[in-house]
Amino acid sequence: MSEHISNVTFHDRVDDALRNQILHTALDRATGRFQSLRANALAELQDADVVRDRARLIRAHTLSKLDTYLEQFVANVEKAGGHVHFARDANALNEIVNEIARTRNVRGVVKGKSMISEETHLNHALEAEHIRVVETDLGEYIVQLAGETPSHIVAPAIHKTKEEIGELFHQKINIPYTDDPALMTAAARHVLRREFLDADMGISGVNFGVAETGSICLVENEGNGRLTTTAPRIHVALMGIERLVPNLDDLSVMLQVLARSSTGQKITVYTNLITGPRQDDEGDGPDELHVILLDNGRSKVLATEVAEILYCIRCGACLNACPVYREIGGHAYGSVYTGPVGAVLTPALEGIAPWSDLPHASSLCGACRQVCPVRIDIPRMLLVERDWATRAGKLQWWLRLGLRMYSFTVTRPTLFKLATTAGRWGSRLVGASSGGWIRSLPPPLNGWTQSRDFPAFAQKSFSEQFEASRKK
Amino acid sequence: MRDDKTLVLSQIRESLRTAHLPAARALVPPRAAIAQGDRAQLIENFRRELEPLGGSSYLARNDEQAIAVVLQILGQGDGREVLTWADEDIPVRGLGAALSLNNYARLDVNLPADAEGRKRKLAELASAAAGITGAMAGFADTASVALGTSATRSRLASLLPPTHIAILRTSDLFPDMACFFAANPHVTRDASNLVFVTGPSRTADIELTLQRGVHGPKFVHVVLVD
Repeated sequence: MSEHISNVTFHDRVDDALRNQILHTALDRATGRFQSLRANALAELQDADVVRDRARLIRAHTLSKLDTYLEQFVANVEKAGGHVHFARDANALNEIVNEIARTRNVRGVVKGKSMISEETHLNHALEAEHIRVVETDLGEYIVQLAGETPSHIVAPAIHKTKEEIGELFHQKINIPYTDDPALMTAAARHVLRREFLDADMGISGVNFGVAETGSICLVENEGNGRLTTTAPRIHVALMGIERLVPNLDDLSVMLQVLARSSTGQKITVYTNLITGPRQDDEGDGPDELHVILLDNGRSKVLATEVAEILYCIRCGACLNACPVYREIGGHAYGSVYTGPVGAVLTPALEGIAPWSDLPHASSLCGACRQVCPVRIDIPRMLLVERDWATRAGKLQWWLRLGLRMYSFTVTRPTLFKLATTAGRWGSRLVGASSGGWIRSLPPPLNGWTQSRDFPAFAQKSFSEQFEASRKK
Repeated sequence: MRDDKTLVLSQIRESLRTAHLPAARALVPPRAAIAQGDRAQLIENFRRELEPLGGSSYLARNDEQAIAVVLQILGQGDGREVLTWADEDIPVRGLGAALSLNNYARLDVNLPADAEGRKRKLAELASAAAGITGAMAGFADTASVALGTSATRSRLASLLPPTHIAILRTSDLFPDMACFFAANPHVTRDASNLVFVTGPSRTADIELTLQRGVHGPKFVHVVLVD
C-alpha cells in the first residue's frame, strides 16, 4: 500500500479521470447497476434494518474483544491441523509466504481475489523469487494481463471496455480477436484451468474467520476460489486481524448482508467454509493450510478515533454510492483501498502525511453511511482525518492565513459588517458578466476556482434580511 | 514468527484499553432458529429460487424416478466418465448399478501424495463429463445445497466437470443457513471443506455481462427426492 505515486498529484489523477470518457461511461453503468441491485436485494430481505443492526453489533463486539477472539481462532485453526502465522507488516507477510514457497519447492502459484495481497504487493515479492503468479478471478486476471491494478473492490476491471479486453486477450493469450464476453470468458477458463491443475500453491483471501470453529469463510461466484483452495497441494489464506466473527450463527448474519450489499445477490454462488487442510482419509483438497494474519497498522488504528473503519466487510457498496467515486473511479485515489472506505482506511493505516488529500475527496453527503451494511459513520471519520491533516501542517499557507484572517474578522462585529459589504460589492462586480458566478479568482484564491465556480454574494446579507423580516 | 504474534496481540490489548468502538456491547444469543417449515413450502421456495439463477431442479417421488432423471441429464452430454461420491453418500439406492449398467465409468478421485503425481491425476480428472453428489442440506430461501467433505465425499466432483448433479432428500431442506447451523453445530468439525453451492458458476467481470460456467460447473441440476 506504500506505492504512493509521488510525482503525480492527486489533483492530476482526478483531472485525468474526469477527462477519460470511456472510464466515465463504464463507471456510470457499473455503479448505477450495483446500486439498484443492492437496493432491490435489501428490499427483499425481511427486517433488513434489524439484520444490519445485528451485523453492526457483531462487528463492534468482536473488535472490542479482538485479542480473545484471535487467540480462540488461532487455537481452533491449529486444532484442525492448519498453521497460523502473524505478520506485523506487509514485508513480514511477504516473507512468510516466500519462506513457505521456498521450503516446499513451489514454482507456480494461483491466486484468488485478496485485497491483503494487494496491500502487501505480494505478487512482486513472489516474482522477485522467480515464482510464477497467476490471478484467477476473471477481473483480476484481466487487470494482471494489462499490468494494472484493480479499480473496484468487487469488480476489478470495470474500467476496461470489452474491446480493450478483446485486444488484450489477443495480444497476451494468443486467441483470435473477439469482443464477445462469452468467448473471452471461455478462453480465460481454458487457459486458467491448466494453471489451476499445475500450481503448487493456492493463495486466497478470507472474508471471515470464525473464532469458535477455526474456519475461514470465503465467498465467490466464479469457482476460482474453490479451485485455488482445492487443487494445489498447499493453501495459503491471507486475512486482516480484524476479520473475525465469534461463531457460525454470527457468520450467517454477516452473509445475509454481504452479497446483498455487494452485488445484489442473496448469497454468492460459492460460500466456502474451510476448517483445516484435507483430513488424513480425504481424497482431495490441500495437504497443508496456512492462515496468515496481517496487522500492518490495524492494531494501532483500534486505539484511534477511526477504529470504526475496522468494522468494514469490504462489500463495496460505499464506492457505488459515492458521487466522488462515481466520477473519478478507483485509480484516481492512488491507494489500494479506494472510495469512501479507502479514503478513511488508507490514512489510518499508513499515516496522514502521504494521504492528506484523501479525506477531502468527499462532499460529506452521507450516501456511504446510508448504504453501509454495518452502518459505519464514514463522514464523521473523514472529518477526523481532515483534522489530522490540518494538525500535521498539511494546510496550504494561504488557507492557513485566510482562516486566521477569517477568525480575526468574524469575532469583531463592526469589522465583519464592513468586510461582508465589501465582499458583496466586489463579488457582484466580478460575477456580473457571468450570471452571478465567479469563474476565476486571483491567486492565491484561484485554488478554489480551479475546479469550481464561486457564487457572488447575495444582495442583502442574512442579518439585513433578518432585521427586515423582524420589522414587518 | 512467534515474535509477531506477541507483538500484535499486545498492541491490540494496549489499544483496547482506550478504544472507542461505537455500538460495541455484549452479544446476546439470538432467538432460537425457527423449526422446520412446511415441507411442501420449502420445496416450492427452493425450486422457485434456483430457476432465475440458471440452475435446474427436479422433484422425484422415489429412487427410480431420481435415477431416471440423472441418466437423462447425463444422456444430454456425450462423455462417459463421471466423478461421484460413494454410493452411501448419495441418497438414492441403485444409482451406482444404474451407472455401470449404462456404461458410465466412475473415476477414482483420490489424489496421490507426490506433487507431480497429483498434477497428472488432476489433469486426468478434468476431462470428466459430470459430477454426481449428494447434499447434506438445502436452504430454501437461497436454493443453496450444502456439500461437506469426507473420505468418500470429494470436493472435485462438484467442481471440475462442466455439469454438477446434486441429489437432495427433501427432508434435508432447511428454511435458511441459520437454521442449518443451529441443527448442525459441529458441521465444520466433521468436514474440512463445507461449501454452499447456489446455482451455476458465474461472472460479470467483462462490462457487467452475465456469463455462466467460468471456472466451476456451468450446469447445476438439483434432484429433490421426496
